[in-house]
Amino acid sequence: MNKNDVMIETVDLQKYFKDLHVLKGINTQVRRSEVVAIMGPSGSGKSTFLRCLNRMEEPTSGHIYVEGIDIMAPYIDINKVRTEIGMVFQSFNLFPHLNSIENIKLAPMHVRKISDKEATERGMQLLEKVGLSDKALAYPEQLSGGQQQRVAIARALAMQPQIMFFDEPTSALDPEMIGEVLDVMRTMAKEGMTMIVVSHEMGFIREAADRILFMADGLIVEEGTPEEIFKNAQHARTLDFLSKIL
Amino acid sequence: MNSTHEITGDQTHRFVRTHPMWFKVIRRPAFVWATFVLLVLYAILLPGREAAAPAVMIVSISLFLLLILTWSANVLADRNQSEAVKMIVALLLIGVLGWLFYNYSGAQWDKVADFFFNWEKLEGSWWILFRGLGVTLLLAAISAAGTVLIGLVVAILRQFKSDTLNFFLKIYIDVFRSVPMIVVMVVLFFALPYAGISFGSILSTIVALSIGYGAYAAESFRAGIESVHSGQIEAARSLGLSRWQTIRMIVLPQAIPVVIPPLTGNLVAMLKETAVASVVAAPELLKRARELYTSKTNPTPLIAAAIIYLIVLVPLVRIVNMLEKRVKLK
Repeated sequence: MNKNDVMIETVDLQKYFKDLHVLKGINTQVRRSEVVAIMGPSGSGKSTFLRCLNRMEEPTSGHIYVEGIDIMAPYIDINKVRTEIGMVFQSFNLFPHLNSIENIKLAPMHVRKISDKEATERGMQLLEKVGLSDKALAYPEQLSGGQQQRVAIARALAMQPQIMFFDEPTSALDPEMIGEVLDVMRTMAKEGMTMIVVSHEMGFIREAADRILFMADGLIVEEGTPEEIFKNAQHARTLDFLSKIL
Repeated sequence: MNSTHEITGDQTHRFVRTHPMWFKVIRRPAFVWATFVLLVLYAILLPGREAAAPAVMIVSISLFLLLILTWSANVLADRNQSEAVKMIVALLLIGVLGWLFYNYSGAQWDKVADFFFNWEKLEGSWWILFRGLGVTLLLAAISAAGTVLIGLVVAILRQFKSDTLNFFLKIYIDVFRSVPMIVVMVVLFFALPYAGISFGSILSTIVALSIGYGAYAAESFRAGIESVHSGQIEAARSLGLSRWQTIRMIVLPQAIPVVIPPLTGNLVAMLKETAVASVVAAPELLKRARELYTSKTNPTPLIAAAIIYLIVLVPLVRIVNMLEKRVKLK
């Protein structure tokens, strides 16, 4: 596989919530091993766009190609597509009735159908990777927010996805816990994971992102490398937004 | 150095609770005791039932009732009074009310005892009642299983959010929550045979209770399922779990602990409701008691059945209460 393979491509992606036009035609590509950050003011459609990409929200029209396959086609089993796409949520969404290792091995065992032993082994490796091998038997309520989010990342990675989505992964965290989550994400980026990250963590984006998509009012109004966007933004909405958060 | 927050003596009065004079008087132990002695004297001096004109009786007993209730309220509402004293006063009040009823209601107590508490009439018949209890418990157990099954299936079907399906499920739920259980039973037992379907009394009861209480259980399960945060379902679906896997492995394990208290509440109510099976002649506890009532020409068996229901149900009601508390603590 080529390093410049297109992993995900969207063509004229549109989404309405009743009469509200949330996505007004998104055209973009994400390449293998690329880290793409999506920024933009609240209500600009960033999260909706991300959630449309694995059809957690059903797009109203348009096409989404994952590795060249149109996943909007009627014969597509979206569950199979989702096994290739890991997703990390703002509010962690760990399963509270399962401990860390059970959270991680649930999907590999019941979707990938691998054995309990193998799933446990792989799960423990992932917990070690996110620095929580001592918390395998802890339940979510016994973990801090940062620890929960790291377990959630390990849970998504356990499916060995081709691409990872992060929907504001640090927005619900206390400031002192943001770093530990971003560290894990940085490592993943270095290891070549394809990532789409909705976030306003400027430090992380500047360092780890290859490209920024800046969204406003349901459209990508500007895109470029972090250098280009932060130093030399052209669009008025981008400049206005950056002046508020920088 | 004086703290700026220190309240000095001359400032304290701003926050001190003040009561009117009469209130201070009625809460004094001396007043409470004095009025108590007066009430005892009043009770002793109350004329016998036949000793005075009816009008005089009504007025004097009403006044006595008013005074004793006011006196008790004064003690029971006093938050400085100990719970032990309040308990004594409450028991005293109940005793006095019972004493008034016993002496002045005009009941013929020897006849009451002969009719309703004539345990000799029940000699040799207790086993009939206990076999009836056995049938009651069996009916309740099988109907409980049916209730849970129907409730769970209906609640899960509702999660598929199909408008057509929901339309009919809601009709089912609303109809069976509105129609009295006794009507459902009568229809099943007396009307359906004309349509060529004969259930018999036992099966009619089980079917009626299952579909009737299934409607309540479906609502309990639905509330439990909907109490699971939508993020849980999103996380499961994003991992590639199917809708059914998500319900089974993520939603139900979180919903069921929430559902158990209201569900057991419904089931206990259903156990009580098995008594209406006596109208379709299912040989359960109440039916047996009514048969004995007829054959012995004495209502004591009904009292015995009531006591058996109490003994079985009170512990169950307490258990439901504990389950509710445990869920609230979580």
